[in-house]
Amino acid sequence: MADIKIKNLHKEFGTGDDKVVALEDVNLDISGHSFVSIVGPSGCGKSTLLNILTGIETPTSGTVDITSDGRVAAPGYVFQAARLLPWRTVTDNLLFVQEDRSSETKQRCQRYLEMVQLGDKGDKFPGELSGGMQQRVGIARAFCIEPDVLFMDEPFSHLDAITARALRRELHHMWAETKKMVVFVTHDVGEAVELSNRILVFAKGGRLTDDIGVELPFPRDPSDDEVAVAKAHVLRKFEELDLLAS
Amino acid sequence: MTATQTDISTGEVAAEQRVTEEELARRARQKELTSRWFWRILSYVVVLAVWEFALLDIFSWLRGNPLDPKLLPGPSEVLATFGEIWGEGTMPAAFQATLTRIAVGFGLSFLIGAMVGILMQSKWFEGFFKDAVLISLSAPGLIWVLITAIIFGNRPIGPTIAIILTTFALVTVNVSEGIRALPKDLLDMAKSFKVSLYKRNRQIVIPHLAPYLFTGLRFGFSIAWKVTVLTEVFSSSEGIGFEMRISAVLFDMSEFLTWILAFFFFALFLEKVVLEAIERRYFRWRQAVVAS
Repeated sequence: MADIKIKNLHKEFGTGDDKVVALEDVNLDISGHSFVSIVGPSGCGKSTLLNILTGIETPTSGTVDITSDGRVAAPGYVFQAARLLPWRTVTDNLLFVQEDRSSETKQRCQRYLEMVQLGDKGDKFPGELSGGMQQRVGIARAFCIEPDVLFMDEPFSHLDAITARALRRELHHMWAETKKMVVFVTHDVGEAVELSNRILVFAKGGRLTDDIGVELPFPRDPSDDEVAVAKAHVLRKFEELDLLAS
Repeated sequence: MTATQTDISTGEVAAEQRVTEEELARRARQKELTSRWFWRILSYVVVLAVWEFALLDIFSWLRGNPLDPKLLPGPSEVLATFGEIWGEGTMPAAFQATLTRIAVGFGLSFLIGAMVGILMQSKWFEGFFKDAVLISLSAPGLIWVLITAIIFGNRPIGPTIAIILTTFALVTVNVSEGIRALPKDLLDMAKSFKVSLYKRNRQIVIPHLAPYLFTGLRFGFSIAWKVTVLTEVFSSSEGIGFEMRISAVLFDMSEFLTWILAFFFFALFLEKVVLEAIERRYFRWRQAVVAS
């Protein structure tokens, strides 16, 4: 099981008058089979936090430890755009992030392709697939390295509502089945409530203002009363933040 | 397009009609392809017919006095001469001489051009090379051909330098454009998945640069080809350009045109067979994108 420990995390961009604080003194522990959503308005530092967690950016100060059973955890990523190599087939895109190309690995890749319902598309090039299918390949790629923790940065925001909904359902099944930890960045509160058992609300200036547990049973239908109430609750937190800001 | 008809009594779509629609689409594609080839071939027929039967008269009229038919042999005569020269066996030797020159000259030029392109990613080197690249791109190849012919005579280094000076900038421009457009999002993705540097270069950087290198290769080669023949016309004792010079000096227009014809065939072969095969082999993914 993966563990994420964030202590006194601080991140600034630029210096002097141009200085922008992206994250301010963030302290956070995530552990176990969690699905954690990070929500907040644009510019609240949620993408910066994810970039630090994924190692693309380094913190100004503070520490981030991502471990799994005492060793360094293996992370997987799903990005806002699928980020597939256009010159490689779907299968080769999955194999690209693997350490080897053994038949075992290939079988595993095929299994995850089937999980995202693209079992017959392995020989296609990304250019031959729709945007939703490409994003599915991105999800399969992240799962097929069997990571301890999966980071997702607004993975469905570029998709149409129906495709996004279908993919959310698939993602939930995969999370439930594989018992991975998922850290999910989104600006869509409904999406966060539908998928997560914990929602972290960030405010402008990169402060973690709320840590909300969502204890509803899965699967969650967005039209259910309880889900709607939970969504309203989180949205109210947003509004309070807006009042504070103005 | 006709709407699909539904049988009211059974509610079934008439299968026949759907087949017909597919068939129609296939026929339309076929027709389009046929007519494209028709016009392409027609252009050859028209040009050859005018050349064979009317060009001598047209030129004579333009000159105001009759043109000696020896100075303008028709395509049939050129083709006959082509057969003769081919039989003599001088053609492969001439091509070999010219192609060796191109291979050496353009091979070096490609390396130098790529290296300059990489160096130009630095601000200082960009300033250093910028105008040289511009001059190489805009100066007519003839300038370098004449200069190198005067300085080096018929030594093989002359054409090599002329080729490098006329073509390296094309490679440079393409390479530096390719480097500037490196897909940062893919490289970041690979980095976050902890993909090794070797694999990142091998599977992201090189496939990304390949089309740019290929464009440089293609344009560079077509210019190297012309410049080489030109240098042979001025200052060489073998190769296609040399053979052209000899025929021109002897006023043997039939032979002169034969060499042009051979040149033309070879260029066509290179374009249609070699380059397109490379493109099909290595850029299949691009066709996939276009087709979808």
